[in-house]
Amino acid sequence: MTLDIEAIRADFPILARTLPNGKRLVYFDNAATSQKPQCVIDAMSEYYEHYNSNAHRANHTLADEATTALEGARNRISSYFGTSPDQMIYTSGATEAINLAAYAWARENLSEGDVVVLTEMEHHADIVPWQQMSIDKGIEVRYVPIDTESFTLDMNAFEVAIEGASLVCVVHTSNVLGVRNPIEKIIEMSHATGARVLIDCAQGAPHERIDFDSLGADFVAISAHKMAGPTGIGCLLVRVDAMAEMGPFMTGGSMIKRVSTEGSTFQEGHAMFETGTPRLAEAIGWGAAVEWLDQFDMSEVHEHINDIASWTASRMREIPGIRIYGDPEREDSSGAVSFLHEDIQSQDLALLLDEGGFAVRTGHHCAQPLMDALGVPSTNRASFWIYNTMGEAESFVQYLEEIIDRFA
Amino acid sequence: MVGSRRWPEHLDAVVEEFQACFDAMERYELLFSYAKRHPSPLPQEEWDDDNQVHGCQSRAHVICSVDENGGFLLRGGADAQIVQGLMAVTAIAVNGMDPADVAGMEPDYAEEMGIRSSLTPSRANGFLNMFKRVTEEAALLL
Repeated sequence: MTLDIEAIRADFPILARTLPNGKRLVYFDNAATSQKPQCVIDAMSEYYEHYNSNAHRANHTLADEATTALEGARNRISSYFGTSPDQMIYTSGATEAINLAAYAWARENLSEGDVVVLTEMEHHADIVPWQQMSIDKGIEVRYVPIDTESFTLDMNAFEVAIEGASLVCVVHTSNVLGVRNPIEKIIEMSHATGARVLIDCAQGAPHERIDFDSLGADFVAISAHKMAGPTGIGCLLVRVDAMAEMGPFMTGGSMIKRVSTEGSTFQEGHAMFETGTPRLAEAIGWGAAVEWLDQFDMSEVHEHINDIASWTASRMREIPGIRIYGDPEREDSSGAVSFLHEDIQSQDLALLLDEGGFAVRTGHHCAQPLMDALGVPSTNRASFWIYNTMGEAESFVQYLEEIIDRFA
Repeated sequence: MVGSRRWPEHLDAVVEEFQACFDAMERYELLFSYAKRHPSPLPQEEWDDDNQVHGCQSRAHVICSVDENGGFLLRGGADAQIVQGLMAVTAIAVNGMDPADVAGMEPDYAEEMGIRSSLTPSRANGFLNMFKRVTEEAALLL
């Protein structure tokens, strides 16, 4: 099957919009969040229009329908990620998922002197919780450096860093560089030393099929909104044996068995970690998103995105003054092209691109240690997804050249 | 301040110059040229943590003081030319004014100039962060 990009674009009403200055939107900020297909919007609207109710409580029709939809979405999402629903905890996104691993697993199982290994490539969401855990519990945090020539992890340093580690946390795909890390090897090496492994798949899940059970990681954090789903929902996939080691994190309604004035007992499994009213519309929307994505061969999706990113990067390398950070031409890169121009400051460049209708990201991308390693405070980033076209990339490069001619 | 205008009258000519631009890109070109002729620039050697205006995407630094005549003096610099240009226009507006008037100013002139990017409520909006810092420091000078 070959991707029909025009048909795919027709599923996304926002892609037809015109900006206030009359320019047609060209959306290249997909690593920040993807757009949503009509079926996701409809699923969420239908919930609010027809069966809005709290789940898991009350004996009435709407509550039954809402609960069935919530758990149906869990079944669909966990199946998409190659695992069972009992290994999936709904969270607000990848950030909360990693915090959940930190506060529910690490706080229960690590103590002073235990080692958590991170990399310089991590998003702040996979750095700050561990720094806080270091303050709270006295754990040691080690950082694996990147090779700033190849923009890949220094695997020799990785091998040294994981010695004696209790937990290894690595980003599947860098949100800045688009680099896909050798996570299979990382998991194998880490497990061989006895460490548990957390993989931040926020950027990886929109670009390849994550098969949790065969991957073998202990924890996987995922956000829905980067893969056609709504904001405010994600999950932590947790192996059953690791979940058994977790203690309660957020406490309150829904996660308890019994509460008395003497104390409380808690639910088991994922229910222990899903406190309060669930994000029903968001979960249902995410269920619709994975159903929509499931119609595609993700290797074809990746190839399409990689073709655009690779062509864009190679053309941009020909523009005087442009420097690319990362290696978008690599076959396993995920469609992010980070760049800077030597004369035009990144925020200026982003605002000038916006005037042409091109939505790109600017800033440190919540990866300041990586920016430090690269020796820059920020980058511009164009990131592509399933609905982007080579024509959009061509018009982007042409407009970028015009801006540079005019403002550099 | 005159009438409903919430910026000093001597800034009218600058605002009108921007309003006369053909399109947004021409306005940005004009703003880039204002960035290069800031009336009271702050050289990079004087940029430090104390005078940094914290914003996500650009570096901006301001020092506010009172000149020998008791008028407000804004010295500033930014790595982004759009922020630097808006800072230059702001310096044209506020330099020499009574600090009390500076403290009560609103950033409406940027909107009237047609600089759309100055209006975003983003935390990373360098201009609004800079403007807020200027009015706060003006209030401290009273």
